[in-house]
Amino acid sequence: MHYPFWDQPIGYGVLMAVIAVFHVFVSHFAIGGGLYLVVNEHLARRDGDMARLAFLEKLSKFFAMVTLVAGALTGVGIWFVIGLLAPAATEALIHNYVWGWATEWTFFVVEIAAAMLYFYGWKRLTAKAHLTLGWIYFGAAWLSLAVINGILTFMLTPGRWLVTGDFWQGFFNPTYWPSLVLRTGVCVMLAGLYALLVASRLEAGDFKARTVRQAAGWAVVGLAVTALAQAWYWKAIPAAVTARALETMPTPVRAIVLSLWLAAALGAGVLALVVLAPRRFGTAAALAFMALGMAWFGAFEWSRESLRKPYILAGYMYGNGAEVAQTATYQREGFLPQITFRTGDDGADLFRHACRSCHTLDGYKALRPALAGADRAYLVALVQGAHLLRGNMPPFLGTPREAELIADHLYQRTDHRSLAEIYRIDGLALGRRAYDLRCGKCHAVGTASDKAKSLAGQSAEDLSGMLDMASSLGEGMPAYTGDAAERKALVAYLQTLGQGGKP
Amino acid sequence: MTLPDYHFISAPLWLVTALHLLTLTLHLAAMSCLLGGTLIALWTGARKAWPAPDAAGFARVLPAATAATVSLGVAPLLFLQLVYPRQVYAATIVSGWFWLAVIGAVITAYYAFYRTSFQAHRTGRVSLGLLALAALGLLYTSLVYSSVFALAEQPALLRALYAKDQSGWVWNPAAGAYGLRWLHMVLGALTVGGFFVSVLGRKSPAMAATGRAAFVGGMAAAAAVGFLYLISLDADLGAYMRTPAMPVLVVSLALSLAALHFHAKKHFGLSGLCLFLSVFGMVYMRHVLRLVRLQGSFDLAAWRVAPQWSPFLLFLVCFLLMLGVLVWMAKLFFRPDEDVTEA
Ligand code: HEC
Ligand code: HEC
Repeated sequence: MHYPFWDQPIGYGVLMAVIAVFHVFVSHFAIGGGLYLVVNEHLARRDGDMARLAFLEKLSKFFAMVTLVAGALTGVGIWFVIGLLAPAATEALIHNYVWGWATEWTFFVVEIAAAMLYFYGWKRLTAKAHLTLGWIYFGAAWLSLAVINGILTFMLTPGRWLVTGDFWQGFFNPTYWPSLVLRTGVCVMLAGLYALLVASRLEAGDFKARTVRQAAGWAVVGLAVTALAQAWYWKAIPAAVTARALETMPTPVRAIVLSLWLAAALGAGVLALVVLAPRRFGTAAALAFMALGMAWFGAFEWSRESLRKPYILAGYMYGNGAEVAQTATYQREGFLPQITFRTGDDGADLFRHACRSCHTLDGYKALRPALAGADRAYLVALVQGAHLLRGNMPPFLGTPREAELIADHLYQRTDHRSLAEIYRIDGLALGRRAYDLRCGKCHAVGTASDKAKSLAGQSAEDLSGMLDMASSLGEGMPAYTGDAAERKALVAYLQTLGQGGKP
Repeated sequence: MTLPDYHFISAPLWLVTALHLLTLTLHLAAMSCLLGGTLIALWTGARKAWPAPDAAGFARVLPAATAATVSLGVAPLLFLQLVYPRQVYAATIVSGWFWLAVIGAVITAYYAFYRTSFQAHRTGRVSLGLLALAALGLLYTSLVYSSVFALAEQPALLRALYAKDQSGWVWNPAAGAYGLRWLHMVLGALTVGGFFVSVLGRKSPAMAATGRAAFVGGMAAAAAVGFLYLISLDADLGAYMRTPAMPVLVVSLALSLAALHFHAKKHFGLSGLCLFLSVFGMVYMRHVLRLVRLQGSFDLAAWRVAPQWSPFLLFLVCFLLMLGVLVWMAKLFFRPDEDVTEA
């Protein structure tokens, strides 16, 4: 809250994802590709295989372009972006881990220099010198992963650091090793998939068959290592976090399941290929494998990010930059005194710092459509009960007055005609809408807070009576403030819930 | 449970400052070779003043210079963010889009350099269009850096700008505070670039001559603009005069002249050393000016220092290893080899 807020329309999640996804692929590829090049250069030189050497030299040009330029600069790009989107978290990380980053930087410099010399040195250097440079490149690249991995895993599982503040305890945190093995596997897998893609364009023949078979081997070994490490990784996350994820966030858990299916499909596909048709292997298949591999890894990264919710630094800082250690201060004095950069519109400032880092009004995780038809009292309840809503949001830690300011800010920007008017619906359709707006945000169907069971079999009168005393049903459960027509439709819809949601 | 507090610096301030200034000097030296060299190559290219093989040879150095500039830029930005997070993040956020566009500009320049270098290798000719594109990317980047980091030194302005516009499309309007400073940096780059060109082209009369001209002319112009900038500080000038920056200025000027002197005598190593030290002096003066400007809103000494010695030691060892490996690899690459053909 000490920072200005970058109020851009794209949405923080989208911006971060675009750059991060790209960088994550490129950087893992850079490591695996380096290993692939040196190992194969070693084999080719040992066997005096000139065809393969020429192939590798060509490969290394593309490789150098991608890693030296795109890899390095998107890395810097992520750093720029996190400073813009999450300055407080970046600040906290840098203060704790500046020497980690500085160490990583030394590896980065060696990696870049070695990659250049390797690329320019195919003809200039002796075989031995060239190979040595290749190994230095790979070693430095992998070491820089090993360092960054400590900081990245710290964000999800800071472990004992939360108590001691000790650098090494935070660095070698519970998920450090599984994550390192997993990422190393990913590097190898991506290298294999990329080599498959290049090999698919070779002329059919023995050389192609050999190259395809070998590249497939890399992909499958990398994938196997990764899949095993993922199970280990999941176990290493504190049980409370995984349990809560299973309970409240079906999405990332689904992503993990999905990613396992993708991995299986990928593995099966690649194996089938090696056995069946290494010679005729075409580019379309190679591209499909590449896409599967990326989808798999993307799903993993996404679930990792989601598991961390509502935090950006688990147990330490919320996604909107609010600090856990400051909870009492916020609750006593509110957010406003902490917000250093003010615009004169307190509601807007509060909304930005409390909600806007995850939501937009109309784009990504849009609130305007989600809140259409809501009245002011209900909005106040939603802000104050933010942690109860689906999505594992941070609690709103400001004062009640500030919750009202945020609600007013939203109320002025949303449609507050009745749901029937906005969507031109009635009957059960209206009831379902009313449920989405007034109940489903907290009691999402199919999650642990699904109330279908406790509502089943009740009469319309009972249900209406329940709505009358809604605010006494539980801490944070809002009073029912919708109009009469909406209430009638909602009650009718609630009666269908006991039958599994089907009228 | 009390959570750890992150408001601390994990090494003595002098150490962090020394590392910051040292790595920034290295970055600026590489950047100046790159930017100055590119501007010179454009200028001579337009007049066809260099023999084609020389120009092509020079173009082939540019990707490596870009890699050096980028890699060496990471460390000083890290230390800057460590010590001045409140100022730096705030300024980058207010100018968010311009700041982010730097990544695009540098990627563009980088690819343009690679293309130029591959083309030069294949055809023996240098594409002026690509060079100009790259130069544009670099100039944009340098201008954004100057304006954003100047904004970081003006907390009151920063607040006022943010209150009016939160979109990240704010360009620092106080051009007086950074226009001359930026120009001084670009001219400095031309100076260092001139030195770089003259040393690389020491066997080519044409290259050596342009390099020398840019070295001498750039230095004179940079000194003049630097002087104007100093005067333009008005309100801060008094305070600035009372800091150690003034004696450093005198020493830096002397070092610059010494660099010219040794260069004329063809003692390139000594000349380069003097030039590097004078850039270091400039970096130091810049640092002092920042502190003067931030007086009242920021006190360096207020940081809680809680050293993390073992990670620092790890860094130090890796840093020394890095230097060793870099030197060793360069030796390997550049030694006159038995079975060398051509790269
Ligand atoms: C750390 C990120 C984060 C912050 C901060 C945050 N939210 Fe959310 N919010 C989410 C996520 C994730 C969801 C689930 C979205 C989904 O399921 O599509 C969500 C869902 C919602 C929903 C339900 C949207 C719908 O489509 O039904 C509302 C309303 C909402 N948030 C309001 C707020 C308000 C008001 C604030 C500020 C007090 C806030 N949020 C702060 C992440 C956040
Ligand atoms: C802001 C979040 C929120 C909204 C919106 C909300 N509830 Fe609740 N509700 C809660 C909380 C918190 C509890 C108490 C804890 C629990 O039982 O899960 C609760 C409890 C209940 C209970 C009683 C507990 C039980 O298990 O029998 C029922 C029934 C219920 N809600 C139904 C509804 C209905 C119907 C709506 C829509 C009109 C609704 N809730 C809207 C948060 C909410």
